[in-house]
Amino acid sequence: MKYLLLVYMDEQAMNQAERAQCYKDSMQLCHDLVAEGQYLAASPLQPVATATSLRIREGKRLVTDGPFAETREQLGGYFLIDAEDLDSALAVAAKIPAARKGTIEVRPVLEIPNLPTDSRRESAVAVAT
Amino acid sequence: MKYLCLGYYEERAWRALPEGDRQSLLEECRAYDEALWKNGYYLCGNALPGASGTITLRFEHGKVSVTEGPFCQSREQLGGILVLEAKDLNHAIQLMSRLPCMQMGGCLEIRPVEPAQKVNGELK
Repeated sequence: MKYLLLVYMDEQAMNQAERAQCYKDSMQLCHDLVAEGQYLAASPLQPVATATSLRIREGKRLVTDGPFAETREQLGGYFLIDAEDLDSALAVAAKIPAARKGTIEVRPVLEIPNLPTDSRRESAVAVAT
Repeated sequence: MKYLCLGYYEERAWRALPEGDRQSLLEECRAYDEALWKNGYYLCGNALPGASGTITLRFEHGKVSVTEGPFCQSREQLGGILVLEAKDLNHAIQLMSRLPCMQMGGCLEIRPVEPAQKVNGELK
Protein backbone atom coordinates (compact mmCIF):
# COMPACT_ATOMS: atom_id res chain seq x y z
CA MET A 1 0.00 0.00 0.00
CA LYS A 2 1.16 3.50 -0.75
CA TYR A 3 1.64 6.06 2.01
CA LEU A 4 2.48 9.74 1.79
CA LEU A 5 4.72 10.97 4.63
CA LEU A 6 4.61 14.76 4.99
CA VAL A 7 7.51 16.28 6.93
CA TYR A 8 6.70 19.43 8.91
CA MET A 9 9.30 21.44 10.77
CA ASP A 10 9.96 24.95 12.04
CA GLU A 11 12.39 26.31 9.44
CA GLN A 12 14.38 27.93 12.25
CA ALA A 13 14.75 24.66 14.17
CA MET A 14 18.02 23.69 12.48
CA ASN A 15 21.17 25.65 11.74
CA GLN A 16 22.95 25.22 8.42
CA ALA A 17 25.21 22.41 9.62
CA GLU A 18 22.28 20.50 11.16
CA ARG A 19 20.27 20.93 7.97
CA ALA A 20 23.15 19.63 5.82
CA GLN A 21 23.45 16.59 8.11
CA CYS A 22 19.69 16.10 7.97
CA TYR A 23 19.76 16.06 4.15
CA LYS A 24 22.65 13.57 4.21
CA ASP A 25 20.82 11.30 6.68
CA SER A 26 17.61 11.61 4.62
CA MET A 27 19.51 10.57 1.51
CA GLN A 28 20.76 7.51 3.39
CA LEU A 29 17.18 6.71 4.41
CA CYS A 30 16.16 6.91 0.74
CA HIS A 31 18.96 4.47 -0.17
CA ASP A 32 17.76 2.10 2.57
CA LEU A 33 14.18 2.34 1.33
CA VAL A 34 15.29 1.61 -2.24
CA ALA A 35 17.10 -1.51 -0.94
CA GLU A 36 13.89 -2.60 0.83
CA GLY A 37 11.80 -1.97 -2.26
CA GLN A 38 9.76 0.67 -0.41
CA TYR A 39 10.95 3.87 -2.08
CA LEU A 40 8.62 5.55 -4.56
CA ALA A 41 9.54 9.25 -4.34
CA ALA A 42 10.92 11.86 -1.96
CA SER A 43 11.94 15.48 -2.05
CA PRO A 44 12.78 18.41 0.17
CA LEU A 45 10.97 21.61 -0.73
CA GLN A 46 12.36 25.09 -1.06
CA PRO A 47 11.62 27.38 1.91
CA VAL A 48 8.02 28.31 2.66
CA ALA A 49 8.75 31.89 1.57
CA THR A 50 8.61 30.53 -1.98
CA ALA A 51 5.09 29.09 -1.54
CA THR A 52 2.15 30.37 -3.59
CA SER A 53 -1.53 29.64 -2.94
CA LEU A 54 -4.16 29.49 -5.66
CA ARG A 55 -7.92 29.66 -5.33
CA ILE A 56 -10.66 29.83 -7.95
CA ARG A 57 -13.72 31.73 -6.83
CA GLU A 58 -16.65 32.47 -9.16
CA GLY A 59 -14.42 31.61 -12.11
CA LYS A 60 -11.71 34.09 -11.04
CA ARG A 61 -8.14 33.19 -10.17
CA LEU A 62 -6.91 34.41 -6.76
CA VAL A 63 -3.17 34.05 -6.22
CA THR A 64 -1.52 34.86 -2.89
CA ASP A 65 2.09 34.58 -1.74
CA GLY A 66 2.49 32.13 1.09
CA PRO A 67 1.38 28.65 2.10
CA PHE A 68 -2.16 27.34 2.57
CA ALA A 69 -1.88 27.62 6.38
CA GLU A 70 0.33 29.88 8.45
CA THR A 71 1.61 27.46 11.07
CA ARG A 72 4.81 27.48 13.10
CA GLU A 73 5.90 24.17 11.57
CA GLN A 74 5.77 24.22 7.80
CA LEU A 75 5.95 21.52 5.14
CA GLY A 76 9.62 20.95 4.35
CA GLY A 77 9.50 17.78 2.27
CA TYR A 78 7.78 14.48 1.63
CA PHE A 79 8.36 10.76 1.13
CA LEU A 80 6.08 8.49 -0.92
CA ILE A 81 6.57 4.86 0.10
CA ASP A 82 5.20 1.39 -0.43
CA ALA A 83 4.52 -0.31 2.90
CA GLU A 84 2.71 -3.44 3.97
CA ASP A 85 0.44 -1.66 6.42
CA LEU A 86 0.15 1.40 8.63
CA ASP A 87 2.53 0.03 11.29
CA SER A 88 5.18 -0.51 8.65
CA ALA A 89 4.62 3.04 7.31
CA LEU A 90 4.91 4.44 10.84
CA ALA A 91 8.19 2.57 11.33
CA VAL A 92 9.56 4.32 8.22
CA ALA A 93 8.20 7.70 9.38
CA ALA A 94 9.97 7.32 12.72
CA LYS A 95 13.28 6.98 10.87
CA ILE A 96 12.91 10.28 9.00
CA PRO A 97 15.72 12.47 10.41
CA ALA A 98 13.52 15.58 10.61
CA ALA A 99 11.06 13.67 12.83
CA ARG A 100 13.29 14.46 15.80
CA LYS A 101 12.73 18.17 15.40
CA GLY A 102 9.35 18.26 13.69
CA THR A 103 6.19 16.34 12.89
CA ILE A 104 5.45 13.66 10.31
CA GLU A 105 1.92 13.27 8.96
CA VAL A 106 1.22 9.80 7.56
CA ARG A 107 -1.53 9.56 4.92
CA PRO A 108 -2.65 6.41 3.13
CA VAL A 109 -2.93 7.08 -0.60
CA LEU A 110 -6.15 6.45 -2.51
CA GLU A 111 -5.48 4.14 -5.45
CA ILE A 112 -7.34 5.54 -8.45
CA PRO A 113 -7.41 3.35 -11.56
CA ASN A 114 -6.03 4.77 -14.80
CA LEU A 115 -4.14 7.68 -13.27
CA PRO A 116 -1.12 8.42 -15.46
CA THR A 117 2.22 7.16 -14.15
CA ASP A 118 5.65 8.52 -14.86
CA SER A 119 6.73 5.83 -17.32
CA ARG A 120 9.90 7.84 -18.00
CA ARG A 121 11.26 7.00 -14.53
CA GLU A 122 14.73 5.53 -15.03
CA SER A 123 16.17 2.54 -13.23
CA ALA A 124 18.59 4.85 -11.38
CA VAL A 125 16.19 6.50 -8.96
CA ALA A 126 16.24 10.32 -8.86
CA VAL A 127 16.31 11.55 -5.31
CA ALA A 128 16.41 15.14 -4.18
CA THR A 129 19.28 16.08 -1.90
CA MET B 1 11.19 23.41 -12.91
CA LYS B 2 9.48 21.05 -10.52
CA TYR B 3 6.60 22.12 -8.31
CA LEU B 4 4.78 20.17 -5.62
CA CYS B 5 1.09 21.09 -5.76
CA LEU B 6 -0.99 20.37 -2.65
CA GLY B 7 -4.78 20.45 -3.09
CA TYR B 8 -6.88 21.32 -0.05
CA TYR B 9 -10.65 20.90 -0.06
CA GLU B 10 -13.59 20.95 2.30
CA GLU B 11 -14.67 17.36 2.91
CA ARG B 12 -18.18 18.33 3.95
CA ALA B 13 -18.78 20.18 0.67
CA TRP B 14 -17.43 17.19 -1.26
CA ARG B 15 -19.67 14.69 0.55
CA ALA B 16 -22.68 16.98 0.00
CA LEU B 17 -22.32 16.56 -3.77
CA PRO B 18 -24.51 13.86 -5.34
CA GLU B 19 -22.54 10.65 -6.03
CA GLY B 20 -22.91 11.12 -9.81
CA ASP B 21 -21.41 14.63 -9.63
CA ARG B 22 -18.49 13.37 -7.51
CA GLN B 23 -17.71 10.62 -10.01
CA SER B 24 -17.96 13.04 -12.97
CA LEU B 25 -15.61 15.49 -11.30
CA LEU B 26 -13.11 12.72 -10.46
CA GLU B 27 -13.22 11.55 -14.08
CA GLU B 28 -12.68 15.13 -15.34
CA CYS B 29 -9.68 15.49 -13.02
CA ARG B 30 -8.27 12.16 -14.19
CA ALA B 31 -8.68 13.22 -17.84
CA TYR B 32 -6.97 16.56 -17.08
CA ASP B 33 -4.09 14.73 -15.37
CA GLU B 34 -3.73 12.61 -18.49
CA ALA B 35 -3.64 15.72 -20.71
CA LEU B 36 -0.91 17.17 -18.43
CA TRP B 37 1.01 13.89 -18.65
CA LYS B 38 0.80 13.80 -22.46
CA ASN B 39 2.30 17.30 -22.54
CA GLY B 40 5.13 16.29 -20.20
CA TYR B 41 3.91 18.41 -17.29
CA TYR B 42 2.65 15.66 -14.97
CA LEU B 43 5.36 13.78 -13.08
CA CYS B 44 3.30 12.05 -10.44
CA GLY B 45 0.11 12.48 -8.50
CA ASN B 46 -1.68 10.86 -5.63
CA ALA B 47 -5.18 11.24 -4.28
CA LEU B 48 -5.76 10.93 -0.55
CA PRO B 49 -8.91 9.66 1.14
CA GLY B 50 -10.47 11.87 3.84
CA ALA B 51 -8.43 13.09 6.77
CA SER B 52 -9.67 10.25 8.99
CA GLY B 53 -7.10 7.45 8.73
CA THR B 54 -4.33 10.02 9.05
CA ILE B 55 -1.68 9.58 11.74
CA THR B 56 0.72 12.23 13.04
CA LEU B 57 4.09 11.38 14.56
CA ARG B 58 6.12 13.56 16.87
CA PHE B 59 9.22 13.04 18.95
CA GLU B 60 8.63 14.10 22.52
CA HIS B 61 11.02 13.51 25.41
CA GLY B 62 13.03 11.10 23.26
CA LYS B 63 9.99 8.97 22.39
CA VAL B 64 7.77 8.75 19.35
CA SER B 65 4.24 9.93 20.07
CA VAL B 66 1.53 8.82 17.66
CA THR B 67 -1.71 10.76 17.34
CA GLU B 68 -4.73 10.10 15.16
CA GLY B 69 -5.58 12.98 12.90
CA PRO B 70 -3.81 15.38 10.54
CA PHE B 71 -0.95 17.76 11.34
CA CYS B 72 -3.25 20.77 11.15
CA GLN B 73 -6.91 20.79 12.16
CA SER B 74 -8.28 23.03 9.46
CA ARG B 75 -11.64 23.24 7.74
CA GLU B 76 -9.98 22.43 4.42
CA GLN B 77 -7.85 19.29 4.40
CA LEU B 78 -5.27 17.87 2.01
CA GLY B 79 -7.00 15.85 -0.72
CA GLY B 80 -4.15 15.11 -3.08
CA ILE B 81 -0.73 16.04 -4.38
CA LEU B 82 0.68 16.47 -7.86
CA VAL B 83 4.29 16.96 -8.91
CA LEU B 84 4.36 19.26 -11.92
CA GLU B 85 7.10 20.09 -14.41
CA ALA B 86 6.43 23.69 -15.51
CA LYS B 87 8.43 26.47 -17.20
CA ASP B 88 8.09 28.77 -14.20
CA LEU B 89 5.68 29.68 -11.41
CA ASN B 90 3.27 31.52 -13.73
CA HIS B 91 3.07 28.48 -15.95
CA ALA B 92 2.40 26.26 -12.91
CA ILE B 93 -0.39 28.64 -11.82
CA GLN B 94 -1.94 28.59 -15.30
CA LEU B 95 -1.87 24.78 -15.46
CA MET B 96 -3.33 24.31 -11.97
CA SER B 97 -6.02 26.99 -12.45
CA ARG B 98 -7.63 24.72 -15.03
CA LEU B 99 -7.67 21.62 -12.79
CA PRO B 100 -11.41 20.78 -12.78
CA CYS B 101 -11.74 20.28 -9.01
CA MET B 102 -10.51 23.87 -8.41
CA GLN B 103 -14.04 25.01 -9.34
CA MET B 104 -15.30 23.37 -6.15
CA GLY B 105 -13.49 25.91 -4.01
CA GLY B 106 -10.61 24.93 -1.79
CA CYS B 107 -7.01 25.98 -2.17
CA LEU B 108 -3.99 24.71 -4.06
CA GLU B 109 -0.56 25.41 -2.61
CA ILE B 110 2.36 25.45 -5.04
CA ARG B 111 5.85 24.77 -3.65
CA PRO B 112 9.05 24.77 -5.72
CA VAL B 113 10.98 21.55 -5.19
CA GLU B 114 14.72 21.30 -4.54
CA PRO B 115 16.60 20.22 -7.69
CA ALA B 116 17.00 16.43 -8.00
CA GLN B 117 20.22 14.48 -8.22
CA LYS B 118 20.55 10.91 -9.34
CA VAL B 119 21.39 8.25 -6.77
CA ASN B 120 24.28 6.25 -8.18
CA GLY B 121 25.49 4.65 -4.99
CA GLU B 122 26.92 7.94 -3.85
CA LEU B 123 25.96 10.07 -0.95
CA LYS B 124 26.07 13.76 -1.86
